[in-house]
Amino acid sequence: MPHLAVEDLRASYGALEVLRGISFSVEKGELVALVGPSGSGKSTVLRVLMALNPPSSGRVQIDDISIDYGKSGSVRAARDRMAVVFQQYNLFQNMNVMDNVTLAPRKIKKWPVAEVEENARALLAKVGLTDKHDAYPDELSGGQQQRVAIARALALKPEILLLDEVTSALDPELVNEVLDTIGELAADGMTMILVSHEMGFVREVASRVIMMDAGEIIETGTPAELFDAPKSQRAKQFFSKVLRH
Amino acid sequence: MNYTFQYGVVWRDFDVLIDGALLTFQLGVMSFWGGALIGLFCAAVKTYGQRVFGILVDFYVVFITNTPALIQIYFLYFGLPEIGIRWSGELCVVIGLTLNAGAYLTLIMRAGFLSVRRTELEAAETIGMSRLQQIRFVIVPHIAKTIYPALANFFIVILVMGTSIGAIIGVDELTGQAINLSTVNYRWLEYFTIAALMYVVLTFIASIGLALLGRWAFRVKAKVF
Repeated sequence: MPHLAVEDLRASYGALEVLRGISFSVEKGELVALVGPSGSGKSTVLRVLMALNPPSSGRVQIDDISIDYGKSGSVRAARDRMAVVFQQYNLFQNMNVMDNVTLAPRKIKKWPVAEVEENARALLAKVGLTDKHDAYPDELSGGQQQRVAIARALALKPEILLLDEVTSALDPELVNEVLDTIGELAADGMTMILVSHEMGFVREVASRVIMMDAGEIIETGTPAELFDAPKSQRAKQFFSKVLRH
Repeated sequence: MNYTFQYGVVWRDFDVLIDGALLTFQLGVMSFWGGALIGLFCAAVKTYGQRVFGILVDFYVVFITNTPALIQIYFLYFGLPEIGIRWSGELCVVIGLTLNAGAYLTLIMRAGFLSVRRTELEAAETIGMSRLQQIRFVIVPHIAKTIYPALANFFIVILVMGTSIGAIIGVDELTGQAINLSTVNYRWLEYFTIAALMYVVLTFIASIGLALLGRWAFRVKAKVF
């Protein structure tokens, strides 16, 4: 049984159908990359999985639990197992780094404080921010903020980490520090779904690539299969543009 | 000008004026916090509640902000006894000013609610926060920080001074005490100049206190002087 199974997922913004029957699955320890042109629905897949946008139909299953996005208990179960990192970091501006990372485990999950803080220190060391515990988001660079956001997501001990264009808002010289962190997580066996335009990075770390366009999956395969020998015309067109450099 | 200022009498009664100033401060603090709670609640209702309740909040805000605080307190003090409710002057001032402040603070806090970044709330949602937890952990700290100057000004301008309305219904706050004392010996100018200076000192202390509190608790870059 796959770790995460998505079947015929549909979603709309008003009259516009942005997901038109998406089906894919993710195995434990896999890093699946969603690629495709802007507006193809990649981010919406993640938003629907995290219950930020309601699906209009379709099935989502994590292990043997079927998620019903209309029920708050079921939504909570989905959010217990998955965590998301956003393009714009979305840190709590009024809290320092440590509080950003520990707030949810302490106040929402009510895990023991000593354990939570120890885990947070370990995570912040992992993302290379040991000396920034007391800094506030507005005192950090974009790359540092994004690494705090990754630590905050991991503090909830998710089974699946969703990464929504996490380097798109960063200055070019800050992109690598965030990608390195993700690469390390992949090496640790973290299950991840990555929406990204960093094709070089995707080729390096992804176990599988899913190419989307206009709310549909065009093609799926290993990075080598898709990047070097895309079968469909649309995929050929897309990769010839994005892989030129 | 043949008026001779005699401040000796004022110094003799200075402790009475100090008592009045303390009461002024207490009334102001109580009304402000009461009003802040009402404001927070009403702003939350307007932002997240059903439309019907939002309209009720609008009625409350419009009714209060379009009538003078003096008249609102008059109704409590002179109107309520007609239906058998008899409150002390102090209670009428606190309740009247709380309701009054609540309406203005609803408007101020609503601005705070609307200025929270939606993305920050989405992050809060995905880490499992309920609506109430979002208000408590994300929105209230955000409001406290971003509209702190407006809140601090409101506290000083409306509430420290708004309490002087109490004098008219016999509450012995600072203005009330000044009136009480000066009716005995007609030293109006002396008592009121001293009372005015005490208001200045009171607001000065309050603004320094609020600026320090803001810096310490909410990282507001508030000027102390």
